[in-house]
Amino acid sequence: MQHDFYLAWRYLRHNKARSLILIVCLGVIIALPLALHRVLDEAERRMSARAEATPLLVGARGSAADLVLNALYFTESPAFIGMGEVDRIAATGWADPLPVYARFRVRGLPLVGVTMDYFEFRDLALAEGDLPALLGDCVLGAEAGRRLRLAPGDTLPTTPENVFDLAGVHPLKLNVTGILAKTHTPDDQAVFVDLQTAWVIEGLGHGHETNPRAGRADSPFAPASGDGVAYTEITPDNLASFHFHGDPAGFPISAVIAVPRDARASALLRGRYLDDDARTQIVRPSEVTRSLLQNIFRIGALFDAILLPLGIAALLMTVLVFALSLRLRQREIETIHLIGCSPMTVIRLVAAEIVLIACSAGALGWVLLQAVGVGAAEFVRHFVIA
Amino acid sequence: MSIQHWWRRVALGLLFFVAAAGSDLAGAAGSPALKIIAVNYPLAYFAERLAGARARVVLPVPAGADPAFWRPDARTVGTMQKADLILLNGAGYEKWLSQVSLPRLKLANTSLGFQDTYLRIENAVVHSHGPGGLHSHEGLAFTTWLDFEQAGKQAQAVADAIVRKHPEWKSIVLENLETLRGELAELDAELKQTVAADPRRPFLASHPIYQYLARRYGLNLKSVHWEPEEMPPAAEWQGLQSMLKDHPARRMIWEAQPAPEIAAKLKDMEIESVVFAPCANRPEDGDFLEVMKRNVDALKAAFRQEKRANSVISKNPNP
Repeated sequence: MQHDFYLAWRYLRHNKARSLILIVCLGVIIALPLALHRVLDEAERRMSARAEATPLLVGARGSAADLVLNALYFTESPAFIGMGEVDRIAATGWADPLPVYARFRVRGLPLVGVTMDYFEFRDLALAEGDLPALLGDCVLGAEAGRRLRLAPGDTLPTTPENVFDLAGVHPLKLNVTGILAKTHTPDDQAVFVDLQTAWVIEGLGHGHETNPRAGRADSPFAPASGDGVAYTEITPDNLASFHFHGDPAGFPISAVIAVPRDARASALLRGRYLDDDARTQIVRPSEVTRSLLQNIFRIGALFDAILLPLGIAALLMTVLVFALSLRLRQREIETIHLIGCSPMTVIRLVAAEIVLIACSAGALGWVLLQAVGVGAAEFVRHFVIA
Repeated sequence: MSIQHWWRRVALGLLFFVAAAGSDLAGAAGSPALKIIAVNYPLAYFAERLAGARARVVLPVPAGADPAFWRPDARTVGTMQKADLILLNGAGYEKWLSQVSLPRLKLANTSLGFQDTYLRIENAVVHSHGPGGLHSHEGLAFTTWLDFEQAGKQAQAVADAIVRKHPEWKSIVLENLETLRGELAELDAELKQTVAADPRRPFLASHPIYQYLARRYGLNLKSVHWEPEEMPPAAEWQGLQSMLKDHPARRMIWEAQPAPEIAAKLKDMEIESVVFAPCANRPEDGDFLEVMKRNVDALKAAFRQEKRANSVISKNPNP
């Protein structure tokens, strides 16, 4: 038996290229479906973890998936609700409300308006600098800081939504006060500002210039019209002049994360949103995410369905390759006969070759699977969650 | 290693573990479990009375500054963000609130319970005094605690906020609250009784900060806009003269002792000065209740003197 394997090994070594192609093909066929499932499992684990860490979400009535994706992954929000919803939830005493306003983007990254409670809720620690303290301050997620190449003390002008819309969103020069530590969540990609700063960008709040050289003693800060884009800048000198107009209860937010005190409070709060005519809805992100993931699993099943005939075809190809190979080796087999070996010996030699190729392909598949396991988290962060 | 030696080592290890755990517990007991930031002294006083040594109460306003016109810098906001509880007075007291980033869940607006009875200041004048620069008292009247019933409600709100953070302190905090509200109720009753004896007696206030005091106790009060340390200009004195025609007051209530020359000039106009300190910042001597007792005593004395002067006039109508 040992001699059979030795001879098989020598034969495979002699035909390196052919053996290697066979091993790689078989290895990939073995690893591919398992690797795909590993990536899907990782995506499910990560998405479920963020959803489960967010007990309840209140937002505008409509697609629950859109609401969850906006509040958890800072995608675009199709509709907004008023800040009054936060006060209404707080007044019940059943849950702590955490407003989220993910509407704007700055240099391609989500600009998220939150209250300072959000950082504690998500357990976001500072890698350097401080949290926003004054109007106009911002703190960057780890990835956002790296991509924008900014550090505490730098400034970041927000992007005007539409330069031709003079009455629209006002670009504001944000002061970077800190960079958050990496969390491997969508928070890494975000630029966080206080909710009130987001409303200044929205144009709901503004300051008044007191410099008499401005011509008007009380001219409001607003982007100047002209060729270039002017930025509102909040400085220690003009900070006190910033104020808001209108009823704060009507100021927009995209969602409220509600953290109920206990299961009973959660049930009571959900009961408040049963009215079909209401303009708001409450969802459990874990349930919505589960439903989203079921769709992903359907895609996974589809992959499986495609991979199965592909795998069978690949195996048949391998059998064909072996059969052709044996035909090519006819003279070699006859020589083995002539030197006195029995037909059983020939079968043993071929079987030893197949076993060696199968084992090598299995080992390669295992290595590939381990590599996917190591890289799955990063792959999911970049291509599934981000 | 003998068994005896092994046991000795185990016992020593256990002893070390118990000692370390004990020192940790002692450390925890030694440091206050709750860090409270109060935006004015009355709220800081209520928190200190209610939580005692369990909480570390910080009033971030510098000594001598008026908390109503103080605004925190970025560093102070950073400190406030790290607190467990931030006590706000409400009624527009914290004008800087919309310009800073604070955790909403840690904020406790202590006057929210009676927000429907806030008083609005009409025709506010822009003026300046002290390091705060130009300001006005427009908007809502904010010295809510000068109505001792409202002060009691604010103390209740402070207690609720503390208990929300530490439910295990409920019994002791409520016990302390009962005592505090009792003391405030005493002052409330005393002041009510004092003013009720002569409710139409006209009084002047040097600054428009006594709106809630006047409303609660029925004081017939009209206000000028003077500072204790700044001699008012001639126009102000003329304004006072014309005000006295409709409102013949003989007492002016001050936030602090007025400058001797102002007091003397008022005396020439037969107007005595009475100090009723709002005690918005930590007093140099005594505490909130002591200052309020002194205030009530001063007002009682003023009413007594007015009554005596009236009886003299009624006995000798034509001296």
